[in-house]
Amino acid sequence: MGIASLEGFLTLVCDELGLDCVGAEAASADLADLPGWDSLNLLRLVVLLEEHGRPVPVHRLLQARTLQEIYTFAKE
Amino acid sequence: MTAGHGAPGTSALGPPLGEPIAVTPKGDSWDRVRDDLATLGSAIVHARLSDLETHLPSGDGLRALLGRDWTRYLDLTHADVRHRYAASRMLLKYAAGAVLDGDPDELELAYGPTGRPYLRGCDQIDISLSHTDDLLLVGLTTRGLIGVDAERADRDMYDSGLGRHICTPYELVLLAGMAPEERNQGLVRLWTLKEAYSKAIGQGMQFRFTEFGFGPDGRPVRVQRPDGTEGTGDEWLFRTVVLDGGHDSGYFVSAAVYDAGFGPLWDTHITTMLDQDCVEAVTEALDRVDTGEHPAGDQGGAMWSPS
Repeated sequence: MGIASLEGFLTLVCDELGLDCVGAEAASADLADLPGWDSLNLLRLVVLLEEHGRPVPVHRLLQARTLQEIYTFAKE
Repeated sequence: MTAGHGAPGTSALGPPLGEPIAVTPKGDSWDRVRDDLATLGSAIVHARLSDLETHLPSGDGLRALLGRDWTRYLDLTHADVRHRYAASRMLLKYAAGAVLDGDPDELELAYGPTGRPYLRGCDQIDISLSHTDDLLLVGLTTRGLIGVDAERADRDMYDSGLGRHICTPYELVLLAGMAPEERNQGLVRLWTLKEAYSKAIGQGMQFRFTEFGFGPDGRPVRVQRPDGTEGTGDEWLFRTVVLDGGHDSGYFVSAAVYDAGFGPLWDTHITTMLDQDCVEAVTEALDRVDTGEHPAGDQGGAMWSPS
């Protein structure tokens, strides 16, 4: 499953970053409220999005407060 | 322990940074923290989340300890995140309380526009906070600014392709020149140094990590430009150590301190944090009120009446 859907994006993030972030609640949760989330995960997400053909600059991701927002940036 | 085989960062303005000190809220290491702050101008303390949780108050006690952070604490929904948030604030307030000789509950933690924490009304002490895994880290300095960061030494970074998002061209060349088995830890070291420095200047990752760098371990560490030339001087000092993590790899811990050149602060007691001129002015004005004399410039005492 890729990042064509929010569900697929969350599954990818969950699997690749080892985060507990499945479900709609995780999508809208503040990143700081995700267990295991840290700034290094943000960079890993940058690499992950690049690998899936959806590059988003670091400074853009820094503006995101939730995974839903990151997904929106990746879809733009 | 110094990471690698070299000496810690040194500064022409003052002594180097000391070793991180393991503490617990009721432990006996706080004298060492006070000594480090008095003699070195900085102190770094660390604790394990599992050790702090047993000391965390609950209910009104926790609310009193967290102060203005209580609302933020309530906003956090995940129990693990909440515990870490509360424990990190407790460690910070106990550390600050120890060096200021004040009640941790009475200290007010505030945040600047970029989220950088500071102790409200105690600006002679600068603070920084970091946590990773089970490790909590606090930096304190009277020299100017401080930033600290910690990361598991075995965290996968190099093979994940993070280097080009973290390193300058010069750093990438240095890493490529290291033995393959040393590259990941070399990158983790650079990451913690960059995090510590960017926290100290209050920028976080807004200051692109590819725009500034650090040289190899084993020599005085300085901020470098992307091409490897020196970007800052002796006013900044850095240190990276490896802490035992209870697992094979341990943690890389880095600290960055900016020495503003004010010299040592011999007395950090919370009551001496007040500006002496201000204290004298208030004392003088109160004496005048006690004796029935109106303060200079006051026309009939309206200045002292509620409006």
